[in-house]
Amino acid sequence: MTSGNAALPPEELLSDLARLRRQARSARHAYWFPLVLFGLLTCASVPFYVSDVTQAGVGVAILRAPGPPTLLGGEQAGGNGLFLAWYWALALVAGYLLTWAWYRRHQRRVGIKTPARAFTTTGIVLAALAFLGPLLAADLPFGYGPVPPVEDLWVRGTFAFLIAAAGLWVLAWAERSRALALITLAYTGAALLASLYNVENLLYPLGWNPGFGSASARLTVLPNVLLPALVLLVAGAGAFLLRPRPGRA
Amino acid sequence: MSTQDTDRQPRADPAAHPTNGLDDTVHQRHRLGILTITAEARADFGYLRDALGLTAGNLSRHLTVLEEAGLIQVEKGYEGRRPRTWVRITSAGRAALAAEVDALAELVRRHRG
Repeated sequence: MTSGNAALPPEELLSDLARLRRQARSARHAYWFPLVLFGLLTCASVPFYVSDVTQAGVGVAILRAPGPPTLLGGEQAGGNGLFLAWYWALALVAGYLLTWAWYRRHQRRVGIKTPARAFTTTGIVLAALAFLGPLLAADLPFGYGPVPPVEDLWVRGTFAFLIAAAGLWVLAWAERSRALALITLAYTGAALLASLYNVENLLYPLGWNPGFGSASARLTVLPNVLLPALVLLVAGAGAFLLRPRPGRA
Repeated sequence: MSTQDTDRQPRADPAAHPTNGLDDTVHQRHRLGILTITAEARADFGYLRDALGLTAGNLSRHLTVLEEAGLIQVEKGYEGRRPRTWVRITSAGRAALAAEVDALAELVRRHRG
């Protein structure tokens, strides 16, 4: 044995290495920021999901005709789909670029690099494909239109959540973080539920009944938006509170 | 791969005894620590110095040994006006670390058995 090991039996040496690995892994974790950021971006999208409903009498509501279907905007009754698609295209790109800048700052501060480039690239490429793909495909002979069952994934305007989930899976791999993988699993579940199911139905037994003609009819899609946002914000807040800080064991 | 890397003693058959699987270049607490940390992520000089509790000079010497053995790569650059030195492990370094940890684990197993 060399002098550096003189006082350390193999058990202690292995234990020492395990501690160093844990410390390094913990120091590189900075995922609270993208969780909170994408949660806030989701909350900021809420106005685009509020349907443009005109009350035409008791129990009767008139919805504006939906705009052209877009992958990121869905087929929003109320005509906000195109605005929603633009919002998500810009918000996703901004979110991924801000996260990349965040990790650059974090690695300068702690001295450990997390390869966030794959996360950023995945997110931006998927966002660009989701936004531009349908526009380009419209000129192709087979055109672009709702294709079941894929249609169910975007018709509610929630496809951006799945793009955010894909990015988080890449980030969980880059950070070697089981906790982030679990959070992403929960978020992916919420995003899929929001894409495939009317979450308002879950609130019906609790007394919320946003039926046609009621004042809350404009808000029927919001539970689909706020559920994934809630998962991100709660997880992000928890990760922020539990983040490793200098001087804390 | 540096010339010193090729001069490193070849590992004996670890089945004979785990200590035969230990590599003199790697089998040193702080060098193992450097390899362990950089196997997790690229790390800068300051992080390694603080995590391992070494002086800058001591860390430099260990880095030189590992770099000459082809187990790590040292990248020097600037961030703004501030010089930064980043250390990354090579594939040879990952293999050496894995072999070392295996040999140590086998030693522990035999000791307990």
